[in-house]
Amino acid sequence: MKKLAFTLMTVTGLLFVSCDSDDDNDTPDETAIENPAIYAFTRNNENTVNFSGQTTRIRMGEELISKLKDETSSEAAIDAMFAHVEGANDFSEAELNASDKSIKSKTAASNDFFFANTADQALIQADFEAWIAAQVDEVFPNWNTAAAAGSPGQIADGSSTRYISAKGLEYNQLVNKGLIGALMVDQALNNYLGTGVLDAGSNITDNDAGTVAEGKTYTTMEHKWDEAYGYVYGLNADVANPNDDLGADSFLNKYVGRVEGDADFAGIADDIFQAFKLGRAAIVAGDYDVRDEQAQIIRELISEVIGIRAVYYLQQGKQALDQPSPEFGTAFHDFSEGYGFIYSLQFTRKPGTNEPYFTKAEVDAFLSDLMDDGPNGLWDVEFSTLDSLSEAIAERFDFTVAQAGS
Amino acid sequence: MKRYWYFLIVGFLVLWACSSDGSDETPMTDDDISVTDDDGTPVTFDRNAMLVNWADNIIIPAYEAFEAELVLLNTAFDSFSQDQSEINLQALRSAWLNAYTAWQSISMFEIGPAENIDFRLNMNSYPTNVELIEDFLSGENYDLTLPSNRVVKGFPAFDYLLNGWESSDTARIAVFQNETRGGQVLSYMDDVLGNMTSLTATVVEEWKDNYRDTFISNDGASATASVDLFVNDYIFYFEKFLRAGKMGIPLGIFSGSPLPDRIEAYYQEDVSKELFVAALDAFQNFFNGAAFNGGASGSSLVSYLQDLNTLKDGESLDQLINTQIDVARDAVNGLSTFKEEIEDNDPPTAMRSAYDEVQRLVPLLKVDMVSAMSISIDFVDADGD
Repeated sequence: MKKLAFTLMTVTGLLFVSCDSDDDNDTPDETAIENPAIYAFTRNNENTVNFSGQTTRIRMGEELISKLKDETSSEAAIDAMFAHVEGANDFSEAELNASDKSIKSKTAASNDFFFANTADQALIQADFEAWIAAQVDEVFPNWNTAAAAGSPGQIADGSSTRYISAKGLEYNQLVNKGLIGALMVDQALNNYLGTGVLDAGSNITDNDAGTVAEGKTYTTMEHKWDEAYGYVYGLNADVANPNDDLGADSFLNKYVGRVEGDADFAGIADDIFQAFKLGRAAIVAGDYDVRDEQAQIIRELISEVIGIRAVYYLQQGKQALDQPSPEFGTAFHDFSEGYGFIYSLQFTRKPGTNEPYFTKAEVDAFLSDLMDDGPNGLWDVEFSTLDSLSEAIAERFDFTVAQAGS
Repeated sequence: MKRYWYFLIVGFLVLWACSSDGSDETPMTDDDISVTDDDGTPVTFDRNAMLVNWADNIIIPAYEAFEAELVLLNTAFDSFSQDQSEINLQALRSAWLNAYTAWQSISMFEIGPAENIDFRLNMNSYPTNVELIEDFLSGENYDLTLPSNRVVKGFPAFDYLLNGWESSDTARIAVFQNETRGGQVLSYMDDVLGNMTSLTATVVEEWKDNYRDTFISNDGASATASVDLFVNDYIFYFEKFLRAGKMGIPLGIFSGSPLPDRIEAYYQEDVSKELFVAALDAFQNFFNGAAFNGGASGSSLVSYLQDLNTLKDGESLDQLINTQIDVARDAVNGLSTFKEEIEDNDPPTAMRSAYDEVQRLVPLLKVDMVSAMSISIDFVDADGD
């Protein structure tokens, strides 16, 4: 159904474009856009696509979330992975240790949302540090204790074992899924795809003239666009053709793949990729209207991925509880992932606006609703709460709870 | 730009209208119990009689038989504890294998009391975690009731403790008789066996005391009725544990390359095939409603399918399923040990062909059988993270 919808969108779009060109032929023709089949762009036969900084941060993220599941880790060691300093021996890979990049410096740090909102930025970064601290202080000491309502420890989820707080939360999942919003989505949608970054300084003049960044093969504008791309596809084996191995990382890439795997949304991965590719080709051609249209499409679709997964996990967790032998471990794992995706909603981007689909205040209220049905948090959560949260989220997107929930 | 978005919205609305027309044609609910046979005649199959046959003639007797084997295993362990002779070790191993074989008749009943305590994962999670077992043998504290310790207990841990260290029984006996480690292994075996025995007692007692009546009285046709729940558990077991666990995973069907250390009873080496066949036999006997302790068959999935007169390509579905189980069993029986098949053949073509015959049962059960019975499949592949 969605695929059909997007086809129709495209057709409608085309119709409109043809009308449009009849109507106002007064704009001077830019260079025709050459949209390649894959995400490969060159200048003088040299590759111009580069996003090594994004790949580095995703790999740092992978080590961070794995360290959160090693109960012998110290809080200082995990914090150091979150806020890496160049040269510090924080990671297992030397290349990451040598890097001057850090996860924290790009957490809730987009130009559009946080340039003049360092107050919220600090609160959000503190959330991640609080989850890390709680994992070490509350969960690690109870690693070999059975969890129960009101006391942290381990709990079975099928053949897996999960490690939860007294209220049923897996802090490692909060960090993992929270970073999808605060790092990947925020940087891609609200930083690199925004005109504030794409058109900063002399970017337009330079891009029009084909003036490359000093010592580089690409113009600064091209590079900014590629950096957005890198937060989605930074670990795919073939970066020019990334949809062949969606799930290459544990962050946004994986969940674009998961949503693609839901028949209700099949086609979304290609739609996202096509918009990235056409937008990049439009930059090469100097057509900034087409570029910005593609940015809006990417913002809408990636925001939708976050919304779909938030609802999906709330509904999956509800199903795990709604049976003769409730599967608490399975449900809490789902809710913990859902918690992270709900948290990530504040970094989504409503196309054509400078607003997220849900404000930070709305997200905070959702999360407190999820946790406050009783003194023991998720142990007490009511089905009506899960359903009303799901409805409230789905209502602002173009999907239903039923479509997202399975 | 604004007008562009406006057209998109119009496009969506038009499409939604079309799509809801199409999908509203066949409203189906879980409460819809009007099952008809191929001629359109309503069928009134007595689900309660089938549940009674399942509980009284198959499930409870199979549990009791398993519990009896566990008693023998405990006796053999006690003898070995008293006197660590080679002959007592062999008797212990033989009792372990008998109990492991009896387990294959009850592993599929993961409903009610068994489901409540994750009986199957607690009794038979493999591969067993040898590194962790060794930590525990050398003095680290452990609590065998924790979920994270399901991989260091049950039959697979016993397999390691009996067969997985030292190269021969003579060498093991020397350790048992002369070294500290011997006492550590004995003591750990005791704990593992105690855990298996108490879990089993919990399940069997609960079945007899309460759950049998709950099970047979929940005899309707809905997603939460006993037949629907159990058929789901039965097919899930077939797909994940018989097919994937015993054959597919070690063959590398899902990982790309063979994983011979994932076979069941890996350290015993030569019984994985027999355990598979025992499980398949039990699966088929349940399908046919054969009384566990012999005697006439009772109401079963076969009689249900026959009542519904379910045909597939002109043949009766119950016969198709039974024939395919026989084909799969013959194919597996024609193999060497699973370990040899996987380790000596690259790719392990013969075992893969046998696996394919097992695989052919999945659509017959999961599509044809359940749709004839109007049962919805309630499990999906887990998220994997």
